[in-house]
Amino acid sequence: MPAPHSRRPSAKKPLLPTTGAFWSEADLIRRLLHALDIAEQALERLANNGYTDAQEPSFTIQPEKVISETGFFLMAAAAVNHIPVVNTRVQALAHQLAPYARSSRMRLGVCLEPSLALDYAQAHICLNYLGLPDASFDTLLRQSQASQAFGARERPPHRVLEQRWLLHLWDDDAVRPPAPKSALNAPTDLLAGSRDDVYAFTHALMYMAYNNESFPPRLPRSRAVIMAEAEALLARCLAEQDYDLGGEVLLAWPLTGAPWSPAAIFALRVLAQAEDAVGFLPSPATRLQRLSELQGAERSRYLLASAYHTVYVMGLLSAAALRPSALPPAAIPTRRVTAGAAAAILPLVGDNRQEHWRDELRRLSLPEQDTLAGLWLQIGLWRQSQRRDFDAVFKLLQIGNQYGLTSTPMAIQAAEMLERLQLFAHP
Amino acid sequence: MSNHVNHQDVVKKLLDTKAVDFKAIGEAVATMGPSLSLADEPWDGFCGTMRTFVHVYVLPGVHTNPGVENLGALRGATKELQG
Repeated sequence: MPAPHSRRPSAKKPLLPTTGAFWSEADLIRRLLHALDIAEQALERLANNGYTDAQEPSFTIQPEKVISETGFFLMAAAAVNHIPVVNTRVQALAHQLAPYARSSRMRLGVCLEPSLALDYAQAHICLNYLGLPDASFDTLLRQSQASQAFGARERPPHRVLEQRWLLHLWDDDAVRPPAPKSALNAPTDLLAGSRDDVYAFTHALMYMAYNNESFPPRLPRSRAVIMAEAEALLARCLAEQDYDLGGEVLLAWPLTGAPWSPAAIFALRVLAQAEDAVGFLPSPATRLQRLSELQGAERSRYLLASAYHTVYVMGLLSAAALRPSALPPAAIPTRRVTAGAAAAILPLVGDNRQEHWRDELRRLSLPEQDTLAGLWLQIGLWRQSQRRDFDAVFKLLQIGNQYGLTSTPMAIQAAEMLERLQLFAHP
Repeated sequence: MSNHVNHQDVVKKLLDTKAVDFKAIGEAVATMGPSLSLADEPWDGFCGTMRTFVHVYVLPGVHTNPGVENLGALRGATKELQG
């Protein structure tokens, strides 16, 4: 593990608490416990009826989603049950979750929609895993599992992986569908992929990793290649200030056992600073205008419904980083890169000076900024390709090439895009 | 009699008529460009004849993410969720 960078000017020290060479365990526990506190609120206010915005009906959260995701979060947090305060909190929340997870609504779902039985049973299965079994729910689920329509639904690959994970968690001996080719099997479209494509990547990775079959999980391609794609997705999330997705992407490091890269450490700092600035990790879904229009219980329910998922993601990330040998380094390990790479690339990244990652950038020493030049390059490639400023993309690639930073999936895809555009312009 | 048509000749004759005011087209593109770049739908068009002389491409729009709100303002408005 690299030693902390000793040349950091005192004025630029990170604001985050650290312990020696590693991120402070106490800080991660604090973040995890806060997410668990919000899980308690989510259960109280959303688990019965979910949330529907009267003004914007498309923003609807079904109670099953809150219940299932709370079960998943508790299962993941239990990975650090060796920390007594976490264990106590997880157990208390598991008891709070149980009546919702095994409610008549959930049981009826298992009965009437066997192809969705595991989806309805997700929180129940997580509670089983946490030591709170319910034999009658298991009996019902087995009956549904034996039905003709149990495997009827057609799902995208990462959702098939979710079903496999649930079956494995529920019953080691259960016959599971074969692992499909997922978003992890082939290169990700890093410049034109949708947000759903990023979700497919992060969820496939989560369900593989939480399967508990082996650690590190067996991945369908080399871990180094997958992590290089994860860094590109991280660049996109930082550029868009999408911390919901960014937190899920960051899970790739602790969940695969990969050493935290400088870019991953930097992104974790950005998320932690955003969480500290607001009091919880904010989501793009929480809109101030809508908050100002609501009052009382409805306002609280909107706030929770729009924010809880991103809060859970920070909880998942904190729990994953607290696993043995997964603590992030406190400092960004500086690498031997050509001095001046950051100064050459940053002016071409874009002109939005208000972005949170730039606040964190200003706290870095020059060697740290140069170490992260590859991340700045990827943020620039993402942003300029979104702006359709292909001249800027070309210039970024030229400069990146001078500094040996273009052997990444993002840079390769950007170069391929320029080649295609050239053919388009001059057929 | 040959049916061969020399396209270069046709174009040259059309150009010689000065019917196409390239300067005016350039000015129009400069005027329309900023608003076209914000248009929702891609489109292309032709000018003068069935042969395409001028292409104006508006590339398909990219998805936009509103991003998180101002952090300080969010902090002020969300006391219930703060740790």
